[in-house]
Amino acid sequence: MRRLQPRHWVFLGLLVVITVAMLLRVPLALRTSPETQRLYDYLNELPEGSVLLISFDHEASSLPEIRPIAEAILRHAFERDHKLIGLALLAEGTVIGYRLMEQVAAEYGRTYGEDYVYLGFKPQFIAAILSMGESIPVTFPVDYLGSPYTSLPLSVDIGSYADVAGVISITDGSLTTHWIEYAGARYNLRVLGGVTAAMVTTYDPYVSSGQMHAMIGGLRGAAEYEQLIRVSGGGLRGMLAQSASHIYILLLVLLGNIIYWREQRKAGKR
Amino acid sequence: MNRKIALIICFIFGVVMFLQYFSGHPVSRRINQAILEYWQIIFAFTLVVGIVGVMRTNIEKIGRGDDVFFRVVTLAGILIMPLLALVWGIRADTPFMWMFENVQAPMQATVFSLLAFFVASASFRGFRARSAQATVLLVSASIILLSRSALGGILADEIPQFAEWMRNYPSMSARRAILIGIGLGSITTSLRVILGIERTWLGGRQ
Repeated sequence: MRRLQPRHWVFLGLLVVITVAMLLRVPLALRTSPETQRLYDYLNELPEGSVLLISFDHEASSLPEIRPIAEAILRHAFERDHKLIGLALLAEGTVIGYRLMEQVAAEYGRTYGEDYVYLGFKPQFIAAILSMGESIPVTFPVDYLGSPYTSLPLSVDIGSYADVAGVISITDGSLTTHWIEYAGARYNLRVLGGVTAAMVTTYDPYVSSGQMHAMIGGLRGAAEYEQLIRVSGGGLRGMLAQSASHIYILLLVLLGNIIYWREQRKAGKR
Repeated sequence: MNRKIALIICFIFGVVMFLQYFSGHPVSRRINQAILEYWQIIFAFTLVVGIVGVMRTNIEKIGRGDDVFFRVVTLAGILIMPLLALVWGIRADTPFMWMFENVQAPMQATVFSLLAFFVASASFRGFRARSAQATVLLVSASIILLSRSALGGILADEIPQFAEWMRNYPSMSARRAILIGIGLGSITTSLRVILGIERTWLGGRQ
């Protein structure tokens, strides 16, 4: 049998750290970031019954991080009795978005067609975003379930961006940038985001300039949001595992540097 | 002659799309909507080009005996998924979506999750304070890592505050510079394409 190499021990250590952290139930108190607070305040202060677009602009690979973000936003929106129109501009987000909306809507006793509608996927995101600015019924003549757009009580009066309060783009890439550039700049649609941690710095300049009103960033953002809406979800559950793995990586960096310094000292003595 | 026609079409559409952006006239809005619909239809056809390319490459390599098993799996995926979609549709609770939810999504999430293990291993082996610049990078990364964990705020209030400062000043100023550069570059390239100065998109000889 081949001997385990140092990197295999590193992998095993991480596996143990994450598994133990996932099994533990430790209550965490997180400081809410200003961006998360702003998104919460926005949804909280919108008049009840406001219509929001929720765009699932992500792939399946980022689901463990995206799901808690999406669930937290959907829970708050349904709790506040907002009306939601879901869609996906990346094919993989289509069924994920539908399932999430269906699941959270059921938790809050919301009805399809009256409280929420799911439009499904449209290819070529730039064309789709611009086209919805002109006419949503032309861009999506039927919803995801095959019903004509104009036959649903919620969507019958929603013609374009002028009839919605804003869009929340849930993304693991740069797709929200297109919402900002095409729907925000051209049609004055308010853009908000739920983005993976890796994308936070990409959107920082847009949040700072006000082109993006607010965002939830990564699992940490989802956990902060769950704290605000007083729900224990995937964000808070995953936060302990994320924190433990971050500390584990920091310890590895420290250990690696100690080994490096010792080697340097030895080389210097020689 | 063919190249000239392509250049004329490009010029007309470039100018029309540019001008309609500033117009709210109903005719302009209708033109915009029609062009956007055609754009989506044309995009759908580009998928066909991609699929044919992938299939041709894989069939050729199977013929040569290169990674036959993996290539057969790829081709099976390309053929089976559209077949399921054509027969049962693509809405929720169809075999197509069952395959997506139970095969594709878990596989993608698994591959993405493996990144954590590679990051851990790479941090251990490569993140060394070899120079002043490397030390700055190491300290910044450590503070950001701590701030994104629950421990950052517990250890000291200054850690999340300092992380926010790093995001709001050094990181954002660099990002803004890049974004402005990209914006100016996009305008220049677009103008060159519309005016027919840049012709590489036509392929072939200049």
